[in-house]
Amino acid sequence: MTERATGDGTEVSDVIPLDLQPHDELVGEFNSPTSSRTWYHYLLIAASIVFAAVSVGFVATILWSSLPIWAHHSGTLLGGKGWQSPTGPFGGLAMIAGTLETSIIALAIAVVIGLGTSISIVFLIPRRFRNIVATLVELLAAVPSIVYGLWGFLVLAPWMLNTVNPWLNKWPFAKEIFGNPGQQFGTSLLLASIVLAVMILPTFVAISREVITVVPQDLIEASLSLGATRWQVIREVVLPTAKVGLFGATFLALARATGETVAVALVAGGVANAQFHLLYPGTSIAAWIATQFGEAQGNEIAALMALGVLLMVLNFGLSLISRWLVNRQRRILAVV
Amino acid sequence: MSDIIELQHPQQVGHEMRAEIRRISERGRGRRQLRSRIMVALCSVALAITSVPLLLLLYQLFQRGLPVVLHPSFYTQLPQTPSLVAPNATGGVSNAILGSLVLSVYAAVMAIPVGVMVGVYLAESDSKLAAMLRIISQTMAGAPSILMGLFAFSFVVRALHVGYTALAGSFALAVLMLPVIVISSEIAVRGVPNTLREAGLALGAKPHKVSMRIVLPAAVTGIVTGIILAISRAIGETAPVLLVIGGGYINSWKPLDPVSALPLSIYENAKSQWPSLRTQVWGIALVLVVFVFVLSLSARIWASRKQQAR
Repeated sequence: MTERATGDGTEVSDVIPLDLQPHDELVGEFNSPTSSRTWYHYLLIAASIVFAAVSVGFVATILWSSLPIWAHHSGTLLGGKGWQSPTGPFGGLAMIAGTLETSIIALAIAVVIGLGTSISIVFLIPRRFRNIVATLVELLAAVPSIVYGLWGFLVLAPWMLNTVNPWLNKWPFAKEIFGNPGQQFGTSLLLASIVLAVMILPTFVAISREVITVVPQDLIEASLSLGATRWQVIREVVLPTAKVGLFGATFLALARATGETVAVALVAGGVANAQFHLLYPGTSIAAWIATQFGEAQGNEIAALMALGVLLMVLNFGLSLISRWLVNRQRRILAVV
Repeated sequence: MSDIIELQHPQQVGHEMRAEIRRISERGRGRRQLRSRIMVALCSVALAITSVPLLLLLYQLFQRGLPVVLHPSFYTQLPQTPSLVAPNATGGVSNAILGSLVLSVYAAVMAIPVGVMVGVYLAESDSKLAAMLRIISQTMAGAPSILMGLFAFSFVVRALHVGYTALAGSFALAVLMLPVIVISSEIAVRGVPNTLREAGLALGAKPHKVSMRIVLPAAVTGIVTGIILAISRAIGETAPVLLVIGGGYINSWKPLDPVSALPLSIYENAKSQWPSLRTQVWGIALVLVVFVFVLSLSARIWASRKQQAR
């Protein structure tokens, strides 16, 4: 969530808003029995019902379209290895594994580097550059994912092919972890993870920077006055206070990484190949839907919809967890 | 036992304690500061690692995109497929530019009225429906965009028999924008100072009049900012339109024609076998990024101007 002040002293959040201020005492006034129910009131309720219907329709339509698969081939979809268009069987193991592998590796990279970056932005760089850097980070978070995918595909993939792949394979045990495709493939699960990491970094930094910024200044000054070093302040005061919010940011970044479609479709290689050697091409759920949908017919469409259901469950679960964590963080800060 | 002795000789004990404290703090000091320096340096390294790929991306985008976007034909011509005879005949991307604009305008027309009204309702009401809608909008705001494409395909393309059209694509984008507009409108309306409401109510205005005539005008800056940000997010989305707009090679603004879009032509040209198309793709990406930056920067500048004016 990137929040910024608007004209009313309110906050508008654009990426993924997390929660809202508590109710104020006048809220009920609008609904009170004394207030005459007017066309204005009914108009708002009608709009709300439209919105609810669209949202319910969203979930129901995708579920309904995938029913043929869940009814007969759910085992194959969840654990099968091959994907034979156009007749089936449609095994989803490669996509599920690819989604988890790429997003977890990307998250590991992005969280470590992003946390260091946010700490630098808040505590280390000179005050007058802080706003510029923060704005730049938010602009980068707004860059469409297809542009990250394009850059990964046309710039990073040849570099992986000619430089990184041969270099990685010089190390002992690298073959067991990464596989050894030689200079066969530039696009791979590893490249997809790297591009995802670069892509979710601005989002993660934007959120974690805000979480760190709102740690009360009193706490920081108190511990500085006791003779703590800069790092002790960060480690013993700032990070523990911001901990829950940082976990929330992590889950949001993970939700974004798992749902990313076209960037992964470009750089992962687009092969339904369930394996763990990261230098070989693979795919993810969202990317597979995007690449296969154009030519899909009949049952294959239903199978792709079923993959969509899996993605939806994963994503809704992650965003519920992250919202719960961030709300807890607000309560913690309210106590402090 | 020792405590009692210390209390008996306060001055001497105080002196000893101070020495002891100094000794303890001196003991760890060098190590603590070294550790602090190392960790702070590591954080700076992290900042550098973050900056390098992101700045490199921006640099390469401009370096490779600028030569492409300087040709007027890039904006006016339709795309061509290069052939062996004319490997550099790429044409322009007028259809994609027009398509992106058309898609976002239709999507905005669909999403803004509903989204703002739901946002106002959520801010003014504390009913069970409102509580439920709040959870729905927050969950929908984070849903993967490819799912909007699947929804638009099943519902608009298939069930309503509309086919691969601009209408289907803008429906997908509208579903994407709706929760963002709902949430930002709610926050904007809630941010209106209570004194304004109280003044209106005290003058005898009915609650709905207060909401419509006083609260809504006061919240309009926040609402518009949210709308602009929603549009800037929708215009860059590839996945939802990829499945449903048909990728038409014509300039059309009609809702029932297949259209193209900037992100879609980036996706297709990037995978092309023709080097000329892979060169042109940087220009398309640059145009898209400039669109998005202009939208989100103008929202930000406008909002802060209004704030200063107050």
